[in-house]
Amino acid sequence: MKRRVWLLSGLAAGGAMLVGWSVLPARDRLGSATSLPPGGGAVALNGWLKVDLDGHVLLAMNRSEMGQGVHTALAMLVAEELDVPLAMVRLIPAGYEAIYGNVAAFVAGMVTPHPRDLEIGKASLSVEISQHLATKLARELGINMTGGSSSVADAWNVLRLAAATARSQLLNAASLEWRLPVSEFAVVNGVITHPSGQRAPYQSFAARAPLTPPGTVTLKPRSEWTLIGTSAPRIDATVKANGRAIFGIDERQTNQLFAVIRHAPVLGGAPGRVDTDAALRQPGVVRVVRLGPYAGSQPAIAVVGISLWHAQRGADALKVDWLDPPRGRVDSATIMRTLETTALEAAQSGAGTVFYRRGDVDAAAGDRRLLAIYRAPYLAHAAMEPVNATARVANGLVQVWAPTQVPGLARALAAKVAGVNESAVDLTVSYLGGGFGRRLETAVVGQAVRIAMDCGGVPVQLVWPREQDFGHDVYRPAAVAVMQAELDNQGRAVAVRVTSAGDAITPRWAERNLPALSSRFERPDKTTSEGLSDSPYGFAHQRIAHVATHSGVPVGYWRSVGHSHNAFFNECFVDELATEAGDDPVAFRLGLLADMPRHAAVLRLAAERAGWPGFVPAGQPKLAAGRALGVALHESFGSIVAQVAEVSLRAKSVLVHRVVVAADVGTVVNPDIVAQQLEGGVIFGLTAALFGRIDIVDGVVRQTNFHNHPLLSLAQSPVVETHLIASERPPAGVGEIATPPIAPAVANALFVLTGRRSRDLPLLPLA
Amino acid sequence: MEILLNGQGRDVPQDIAGSDMPLLWWLRDLLGLTGTKYGCGIGACGACTVHLGGQAVRSCVTPMSAIGSRAVLTIEALGTLASPHPLQKAWVLHQVSQCGYCQSGMLMAAAALLKRNPKPSDADIDVAISNLCRCGTYPRVRRAIHTASAMLRGLAPTPPADNRRPTASGEGVIVRT
Repeated sequence: MKRRVWLLSGLAAGGAMLVGWSVLPARDRLGSATSLPPGGGAVALNGWLKVDLDGHVLLAMNRSEMGQGVHTALAMLVAEELDVPLAMVRLIPAGYEAIYGNVAAFVAGMVTPHPRDLEIGKASLSVEISQHLATKLARELGINMTGGSSSVADAWNVLRLAAATARSQLLNAASLEWRLPVSEFAVVNGVITHPSGQRAPYQSFAARAPLTPPGTVTLKPRSEWTLIGTSAPRIDATVKANGRAIFGIDERQTNQLFAVIRHAPVLGGAPGRVDTDAALRQPGVVRVVRLGPYAGSQPAIAVVGISLWHAQRGADALKVDWLDPPRGRVDSATIMRTLETTALEAAQSGAGTVFYRRGDVDAAAGDRRLLAIYRAPYLAHAAMEPVNATARVANGLVQVWAPTQVPGLARALAAKVAGVNESAVDLTVSYLGGGFGRRLETAVVGQAVRIAMDCGGVPVQLVWPREQDFGHDVYRPAAVAVMQAELDNQGRAVAVRVTSAGDAITPRWAERNLPALSSRFERPDKTTSEGLSDSPYGFAHQRIAHVATHSGVPVGYWRSVGHSHNAFFNECFVDELATEAGDDPVAFRLGLLADMPRHAAVLRLAAERAGWPGFVPAGQPKLAAGRALGVALHESFGSIVAQVAEVSLRAKSVLVHRVVVAADVGTVVNPDIVAQQLEGGVIFGLTAALFGRIDIVDGVVRQTNFHNHPLLSLAQSPVVETHLIASERPPAGVGEIATPPIAPAVANALFVLTGRRSRDLPLLPLA
Repeated sequence: MEILLNGQGRDVPQDIAGSDMPLLWWLRDLLGLTGTKYGCGIGACGACTVHLGGQAVRSCVTPMSAIGSRAVLTIEALGTLASPHPLQKAWVLHQVSQCGYCQSGMLMAAAALLKRNPKPSDADIDVAISNLCRCGTYPRVRRAIHTASAMLRGLAPTPPADNRRPTASGEGVIVRT
């Protein structure tokens, strides 16, 4: 069977064809044996896989493990196709060739069709062409990034094809040696057997396999999967339960020194005159290094010591005259007011980028108009592992150890700072103690390399103290949305007009981390409007626009990006429209999803499992007194999630007792890892929903540490139930998808309890 | 002077042993025992939790000078590879960890809890486990503590959640935590 045939048949077997990267041959990214570093007594079969003398399959891992289970999921794809136990797959670091880039994430970022235009059989030619072109461009860029909930989608065809090709070569090599037909072979646990009694493990043919053509390569049909779709234990579970997992901050090299950083307290500020005498007199302090700006970071001062504590003591003794930013001091309250004015004016004038238009919103007049203004604050990432990187610069060689989501970009920055070729940089990606988008930033690597250049070949680890992380994050941008609806005399919406305002993220991120290409990203940024412009509801007349602002606060990708606040705006407003129509919130939504059956199925499943009145048989246990249910439905990263939150009030606080999550994530590779991510996404989102905020007053971020920026605690955490819809579509996103719906689900339940709409995040303190 | 760490006496120079340097940095930066984590430096997140004289303490705010003769136990010695602590078994059984960064501290806090209260209620766990986790592992932390409690009392571990394959009827995977 030819490549095109198996691809098409694979998609046909899936019963669903999602236009996108899957229509381009994965073979382009197979790579060759030379893509992998030699050695280890292992034989490379392509750019992804080696087989060693003990029969281990060595997988070139291009994605960073930051808790989302990607190491396990990608290893499962390979183990499935090769018929080896998951435990026989070992990970080796991937290199920097373009085959390791993330095509799925960049295509999703570049092409922005409405989900309606992506449904099976409905994709227009222009959508298909634009996705095809975006795929080619993304492939050429070859940027390795772990983000955008894209890793499994990106690897799905590429890794399975790599493994199936390797398997074919091994089987063909056995066939040549045994003079028996491949069609009569079976493979069990990496051992090839033939009914004649011939049997030998893969490694017996490893030497011969690279010289043996794979011939026709077919992927294992879904019906024969034994690993995909099972809750195989995570391959990192044990080391993360015994303290042996090495995060970036745990790197320890011989004679290693430790450095802490001090940025100007005012955002955008810089050190002026620095008196280092007292700092250098502190015991255990080795030196003070002045740092320029790297990948968008503020100029700063680093103090190097024999431990992080010694360095901290030195930094406390620094005397620095901090200079104000030339642009002046930013203030979040002022920015919020400006955003609101901007959005209101644009709603009147029609300014802004229109991301989606349907029908004729200007011609559609109702009896009255509903206008609601929603607001969301700046947010911090607050990953538990503080921002850090370790570097050693000696003899023209640069070694870097970093918990990064973008190893190639980090390496490029390290090379630039050290003034060497990228090939002179050896970068090791450790485990990431949470990412959430924070580690898509490379600045800390530039800073660490610069410090190491002053340390005479001694390795040095730079750590941002927690206060520096809160005070100098790249924040989730603040946003305001003006939500308007024309209502008929029954209170039913006939037209919806959304006008939002907030900073664009992608151009700012590209300026910092991808400067050579940043001009290409200076265009309407879908992250500003995602979650609004791709709303699945079938209002006949819609206009969804966004005004991209430039507020001067550093902004970055934060788990679920634009969806993180836009889902709140959209799903609370739809709830308002249900109230106006006098309809049940679930029934109202279902009425607007007539041509979106997958969305309707997810919503219905959540309602049924949560015991939503009207969706369960009469006589089901009633909701406890004082509790209310709230619902939200949101698609992001190709997956559809519905949540029902069970909420009560106690004193002036909000208790979330139970959250039922239903999701359609396409094919499920590992159900328990998906459940982990959905539980975690809910809890991560609850911090933001209830009390997450970053306030900038006179240029300075007020939140400094976990005492004044609380995270949701164990005691506050709800029971989370996960229900997954069976699907044969290709896998879609998982890591971020449960975060967007939780704030609106809780807010909609709060409305039932209080009779008042909460249109501002965070929801606490209650008005 | 000598500090008893993970069952072994360790010589510590007086300028460190008598100082206000927090225990965390002695462990991590001077000894290279990196299982204990830095998260906040103010005792607010619990990533640095170790046992001091059998009690859970936050090592980032525990000065070296306060240790005295009390034994220090870190995650590295909670169990062994061959014989993990029941909590560590329960952690794997319930697939608790995501990024894993806060889990050493969680485990040490949980171990101290089970030591003084072998059968904690949900409310007991709420009070004892004030450690912060950004990934949102809390529901599984709770379940794993109950399971480890049962194992310590000689009972069969609670089976983990029902993780069946999704089915066409939409019954799906039901994971209740």
